[in-house]
Formats: sequence, C-alpha cells, structure tokens
Amino acid sequence: MRTDKDGAVETAPWFDPFTRWMLIIMFTILAIIFVAAKYMDVHNMQGGGTDDTVNAMASRVAGAKAAHPFVNLPGDAQVGAFSVANFFAGLIVGHNWKKLFEMEKKD
Amino acid sequence: MHIEDGILPPRAWGFWYGVTLLFIVPGIREIKRRVRENLSYKPFLAMVGVAVFVISAMHLPVPVTGSCSHPCGTPLAAIIVGPFATAVISLIVLFFQAIFLGHGGITTIGANDFSMGIAGGISGYLCWRLARRFNSPLWLAGGIAGFVGDVLTYLTSSFELALSLHGHIPLLKQWMIFFAGYGPTQLPLAVAEAVFTAAVLQVMYNRRPDLLPGVTDRKKIFRETGKPEMEG
Repeated sequence: MRTDKDGAVETAPWFDPFTRWMLIIMFTILAIIFVAAKYMDVHNMQGGGTDDTVNAMASRVAGAKAAHPFVNLPGDAQVGAFSVANFFAGLIVGHNWKKLFEMEKKD
Repeated sequence: MHIEDGILPPRAWGFWYGVTLLFIVPGIREIKRRVRENLSYKPFLAMVGVAVFVISAMHLPVPVTGSCSHPCGTPLAAIIVGPFATAVISLIVLFFQAIFLGHGGITTIGANDFSMGIAGGISGYLCWRLARRFNSPLWLAGGIAGFVGDVLTYLTSSFELALSLHGHIPLLKQWMIFFAGYGPTQLPLAVAEAVFTAAVLQVMYNRRPDLLPGVTDRKKIFRETGKPEMEG
C-alpha cells in the first residue's frame, strides 16, 4: 500500500477522466466501423481500399503490372505488422504525451 | 493516395522526387530552427509524426460506396508543427509504410509525399491561416483545414496519375476519372477528418495553447499558462 507524505493512502482510479474519455471515443469509432462493416457485408459490398482500386485502374491505363511490394505480407502477417507498428506508435505518443500534456501537480 | 511502384514512369516519379525535395530542404531548416527555439518542439514533432503514420494507415469503411479509405492527418500536422516540417515527417512516414506495410512504393515516395505531405499539408495550413485571419472560431478554421487538406490530397494524387497516364484523353477528363475512384469514398472521410482536426485543435487550445502558434495573443497565453508561445 502506498501512502503520500501526510500518511493518506494513495489510490489509482480505474477510470480517470482521461481514460474514460479515450475509451468513449474509441468505442464510438469502433461502433461506427462495425455498423458500417455489417451494412457492407449484408449488401455484399467488397469493402476494398480506394487506393487499390485506383492503382489497379492506373495500372490498366499504363499497361503496366504494379510492382510487388518491397516486403510482401501475406495473410494475417499484415494484421501482425499493423499491430506491432501501432503498439510502438502508441508507446511513443504516450511517452511524449505525458511530457507535453500532463497536468502539473499543485502543492 | 498511396501510388504503388511500377505505375508512374521513371521520368514522372523522378520529377515528383525533385519537386518534393524543394519542400524538404526548407522543412529541415524549419525543424532545426524550431528545435532551437522551443524544447517542447522535438517530442511534439515525434508525436505528430507517429500520429500521421497511424492516421494515414487507418482504413475506414464507408458503407455509402462499399469501399474503404483513410484520412491523412497532414492538415492537422501542418497547423501544429508547420507546413514544411510536415513535408519531412510525411516523407519518413511514407518510407516506413512502403517498406513495412506495402502501402505505396519506394519510387513513388516523392509523388505520394507531394500529394499528402505538401499539397494536403500546405492547403490545410493556408485555409487555417485564412480562416483565422477572418476571426473564424478555432474549431471552424480547423474543420475547414481538415476537409480541404484531405480532398486536395486526393485531387493531387489523381492529378499525378492523370498527368503521366492521360495519353490521348484530355488531361482534365483523365484526372476526373481517377478522382472518381477516390472521391465518393473520400468525401465522407474528409468530413470525418474535419471533425477530428477541429476536435484536436480545440482540446490542444484548452490544455496547451502555448503549443499552437498564432492562435491567441502572446500576452494572454503567458498570463494564463505562464509559458511563452511557441514561435510560428
């Protein structure tokens, strides 16, 4: 048990205001994505990326075959790569966030 | 807007590398100057760079068109870290996306940076400055910047493709054909990017107005936070 200098027990709330807001925003965005994806699934929409669509269109116009990616990630490897990249991105943002935005403790 | 390798001919991607370089050099100077002026700038730049990486790789489904696309994050970046610095961080972001995630290409980094980091960033930044000059509320100026920067990114990308590939078809027609591939999905996402940009700027203004150059007058910032404003 940790106590502060006056002997009072220090507590860490599960949902401080910042965490609460972040979770609310995250679940709102996820809900929008899930509803949109469900709608697309029900209506047999493919949900492909516009980048891929336009790249394919441009390749046809150019009469060229788009080059193979430098590192090709088959199947679930792409999800893994995104997860690793986003995990470390989160750490870097969090580390700098604390430096820049953490409220100073008042005496 | 991530154009892949093999689509643009060497002369075209070489040209876009050259044009992008014209913005990268002042970008590096801008970063060096701001790092000297403000200790907070370096961690801030790192944070914004990572945010641009994540935002521009985040594909969101748009049920209206049945396809997915991603926002850019560069209009916001240009407002808070500077338009030329945004060109530099976008270049780094696009390099990592190309080699690790297969998004975009190595030869097309110049073209992709020109559309996302330069056209998207600078157009957003100019809209922001213009709106603020007319005393527009912060959220509105940020929203306009986010929307315009997002749409301009995709218009520029389509233009880059059309310029090289229009052949006997009129350039404008080919440009609009390529933009039609992006536009219907991108417009709702541009609205989302507008809301996101406006919200982030408003939160930043409430918490650390000293990090937003030129938003409020320096005396007011110093009175309220005790911190001098970051130079713009």
